[in-house]
Amino acid sequence: MSEPLTPTAQKPISNRRDSHVMLSRVANSLYWMSRYIERSENVARLLDVNLQLMLDFADFNDEQLKEHWLPILRSAGDEETFYKLYERADSESVTEFLTFREENPNSIISCLFSARENARQVRDQISLEMFETLNECYLFLKSKNAREVWLSGAHEFYEQIKKYSHLFQGLTGSTFTRNEGYEFINLGKFLERADKTTRILDLKYHILLPSVADVGGAVDAAQWQAILRSASALEAYRRFHVEDILPKKVAEFLIFSPTFPRSIRACMQHLDEDLHRLSGNERREYKSPEERSFGKLLSDMNFMTIEEILNNGLHEFLQLVQTTLDRLDDHIYQEYMYHPPVDTQAEILLHQQQMQQQQ
Amino acid sequence: MTPAAPITHQAPTKGPWTEPLILSISHLTRYTYEGVVKDSFNEARLQPITDSLQMCRDFKFQLDPASSVRDYPDFYANCVHYFDVPEPHESLEVVAISEVQTLTESRGPVPVADRTALESAAVREQHFDFLQSSEFVSLGADVWREAVDALPNGLSDVWSDTIAIGEHIHRNYKYTPLSTNVNTRAPEVIKKKQGVCQDFAHLMLGICRTHGIPARYVSGYFLNQHKLPGEIEASHAWLEVFIPDYGWKGYDPTHRRESDTRYVKLAVGRDYSDIRPVGGTFRGKGTRKMVVEVSVQRIS
Amino acid sequence: MLLDHYQNEDFFDEMFTESGTVRPHYQKVAERFQTIDTGEHRSKQTAVDLAFMRSGVTFTVYNDDQGTERIFPFDLMPRVIPDTEWQRIEKGLIQRITALNLFLHDIYHDQKILKDRVIPPHYILGAKHFRREFMGCNVPKDIYIHICGTDLIRDRQGNYLVLEDNLRCPSGASYMLENRAALKRAFPDIYRSARVKPVDGYAAELRKVLQHVAPASLGGGQPNVVLMTPGVFNSAYFEHAFLARQMGIPIVEGRDLVVRDARVYMRTTSGLVPVDVIYRRIDDDFLDPTVFRSDSLLGVPGLVNAYRSGNVSLANSIGTGVADDKVVYYFVPQIIKYYLGEDPILPNVDTYLASENKDRLFILDNLEKLVVKSANEAGGYGMLMGPWASQEEIASFRDQILGNPRNFIAQHPISLSRHPTWCNDDALGGFEGRHVDLRPYVLYGDKITVTPGGLTRVALRKGSLVVNSSQGGGSKDTWVLNGDS
Repeated sequence: MSEPLTPTAQKPISNRRDSHVMLSRVANSLYWMSRYIERSENVARLLDVNLQLMLDFADFNDEQLKEHWLPILRSAGDEETFYKLYERADSESVTEFLTFREENPNSIISCLFSARENARQVRDQISLEMFETLNECYLFLKSKNAREVWLSGAHEFYEQIKKYSHLFQGLTGSTFTRNEGYEFINLGKFLERADKTTRILDLKYHILLPSVADVGGAVDAAQWQAILRSASALEAYRRFHVEDILPKKVAEFLIFSPTFPRSIRACMQHLDEDLHRLSGNERREYKSPEERSFGKLLSDMNFMTIEEILNNGLHEFLQLVQTTLDRLDDHIYQEYMYHPPVDTQAEILLHQQQMQQQQ
Repeated sequence: MTPAAPITHQAPTKGPWTEPLILSISHLTRYTYEGVVKDSFNEARLQPITDSLQMCRDFKFQLDPASSVRDYPDFYANCVHYFDVPEPHESLEVVAISEVQTLTESRGPVPVADRTALESAAVREQHFDFLQSSEFVSLGADVWREAVDALPNGLSDVWSDTIAIGEHIHRNYKYTPLSTNVNTRAPEVIKKKQGVCQDFAHLMLGICRTHGIPARYVSGYFLNQHKLPGEIEASHAWLEVFIPDYGWKGYDPTHRRESDTRYVKLAVGRDYSDIRPVGGTFRGKGTRKMVVEVSVQRIS
Repeated sequence: MLLDHYQNEDFFDEMFTESGTVRPHYQKVAERFQTIDTGEHRSKQTAVDLAFMRSGVTFTVYNDDQGTERIFPFDLMPRVIPDTEWQRIEKGLIQRITALNLFLHDIYHDQKILKDRVIPPHYILGAKHFRREFMGCNVPKDIYIHICGTDLIRDRQGNYLVLEDNLRCPSGASYMLENRAALKRAFPDIYRSARVKPVDGYAAELRKVLQHVAPASLGGGQPNVVLMTPGVFNSAYFEHAFLARQMGIPIVEGRDLVVRDARVYMRTTSGLVPVDVIYRRIDDDFLDPTVFRSDSLLGVPGLVNAYRSGNVSLANSIGTGVADDKVVYYFVPQIIKYYLGEDPILPNVDTYLASENKDRLFILDNLEKLVVKSANEAGGYGMLMGPWASQEEIASFRDQILGNPRNFIAQHPISLSRHPTWCNDDALGGFEGRHVDLRPYVLYGDKITVTPGGLTRVALRKGSLVVNSSQGGGSKDTWVLNGDS
């Protein structure tokens, strides 16, 4: 969760006096509930794909294992925390760290816990089915059964996580009232999805190939395939590009594809629509600096080519996207969801005091 | 049968501090915070009282950052100013400047008042709050023991016993700055046998109340002509006891004397918690430093 | 059929007379319930319980961080009150709330009732909930108590007595509404034919009351009313969310509100929206850390001063707790006499004050026969049930009374009235008598309204007199008929 900033300007005083207002705190909870669920699903997919990949490369030595898993670790966790808990980075330790460890705020269990906490805060805003789904998923993760499933066949385990996420998103689509809250849920989902896609692509640049000789070889191809799988894009890609998996085409697909719903551009288009709906601005009207840089990036992407990006550096481009999205997240927070930050100690005391009240 | 003339104490001797004084007081409180804070809500009891013993002739209240200020009278008729500072700020400065004229005691000699005078329902009901335990002054076993030590033969006359209690404290307690803090309660003072004016006042309140003497906490200032080099001028704490057929009379246990025209009252209450000069809440990390600067000057 | 073996024993029974005949106002209910067998009862009960669970009509019991949701057990057989009885109850409640409101105004202004020595002042000044900070403040329309839940019981002769007034944040109205909805679904036929007075106007009435006390500074515009809750972890959160939804008002926590320049606003996605009236379900102590408990995270800094400045209204007002102090309860008949010049229509239960000398002697001599209550606890805690208590408990209470007499009152145990209630105690299943009380809800706005019926609470355990939800109580729907049978 981003560090809450002190607002520079005072919140404007509105003249609205009707009852259909959305509390900032509620918007914040809906947004983060959505982001955390999306995040947990993405981590599940990432781990599932990479574990399967490892089956093909069962003879990797320790160094190679580490090289393979470290970038993944970094994209969904903190290296320092990891090494406090484990000695070596291999399939088992990294996936455990990213799945079950509560010390890792971005592990699947942590994400789902946070999602559930946020959902609890807004229980009367979401439908009963939505909350029950989230609750069930959380209880599943906490149970002993989860570990057993994970140990006996990780693939089934991650499939289950993805199923819960899809169910939740489907229920949201079919049961959540179309009010402002819906926009915040979507903003959270698409922002997280766009961000994760950039990280998945970026991974390739950090999985250093063992040697130049491997370029174009079996390892390379398998890794690009894994990238596509991590974004659930393999089948969609194959329909589009009948020929082999070429790095340039994969990158292009994941960044620009107008038809593939998880492409960065597709996500950004959704974000654009939701932002406008929320702010009430005219199409192509962007009021704040953060919105403007977002709008400019989206518009640039309509005219860029993959060659330009590769020439200037894929990594640099992906970083630009991430920064723009970060700034947008800050802006949304400042503009709509700002409410006083409460630290954990205070939060606990808050809960105790809530419980103490007689009536 | 003609009623006997009320027995009184000797008329007060005319001393240097029975004549009216005009005093100019400045009271500055500055909070410097850890980083930036906001949404600060505060109440201040910094406006001197006007009653039969003093008149507040002028009062100015300044804030930095500036903010609109309102006021209301609280349960003990103290004037409370309240204000909020919503925008982010790194420090808060509150300055109260007043001009007060203290007046000569005109009520005449203090009558003798024994236990029965205090036990009348009228006294007990009217001054109920000043006879009970309060936040800083709990009337428990340790205070009770101290009260017995102070007046071994019990109460015989309110005012002379008040003075005796003051003497007891002076003999057994040492004025030691920094030995206690603003949250120290009476039982702890008894354990430590030392404290500052706030603690002495709380202690004496406990003893007086245990003996059935209605007693209230007074915050304010006094003109300190004998300031030691390096002694910091600050606001002061003492108390007032209620004497039937007379009224409230001030006693300063820190200086072992009754209050006189050097003393200026800001607020009265059950104890420190009722008269905090400046208090409130804010959002932020905390207070790094708090500075209080008081100056009391005689104008005439 | 299931009522065939019902025994009154030595209690006033709501449904049956001493000779075992059905009271006229229970005719229709009795007829219907005679035709119900165990199977039908079970299936209806299950349906009702499930509906409560699904719609979240629960309260949360917290043992660990998880918290289990429980339904407040609901008994299918309604409690019925004939119109003439109700008229009297209504008059008595209106009289009581009118007098208590005048009392509160007086206590926080001139204190004439104390000066005239009707109540010894130390009872008020020493009351835990007397809020000195609120002295001299004016409240909109001079109304202090907007919502009151008064608990009524019936003695052996069937007389209604007032057990206590709840006028800080009385709860349970949501159960009253949900119980009625449940009964309508379970027994639509008898409901229709019995001609029961509706209760579903409660939310609309409450909203009118809240709008009525909008600050004068608003100048007659449409006020923005909110409900302030401690939060989702509070056991009564369901009721808060339910009432807010029914009234169509936002539900907020303290941290959603902010005071700027002595005005209250809520933080929304459109900016700061002004708030005019707050229906608060938070105790005074936690309302404002600048004035009351400084460690409170549930409150809003500056709220009391905004109230003082007349820019926002609170329902109920600050400081009402002094009037539901059990010691002040003792003086309510005198209060009614003093302000209205009338005798109370609904009498108090005979009470002894431990701080009055002769009462105290009587109490200490008879501890094992009396019910002793501490003046300020709610929910049945801090209570000694003399005839059922152990020697240690009695000794402990003796010490407590001697240590702090002002804090205790005592009453003779009243044999509360009983009502046929479904019991699963024996294998047959069937109706047995269980003790009940009644909590009608009184709303004080432009006019005073009493919702017909209210919450009937049932002590589910055999022989128990304790009806609170947290200690094994349940509830029934309450029917006030349009007529007497």
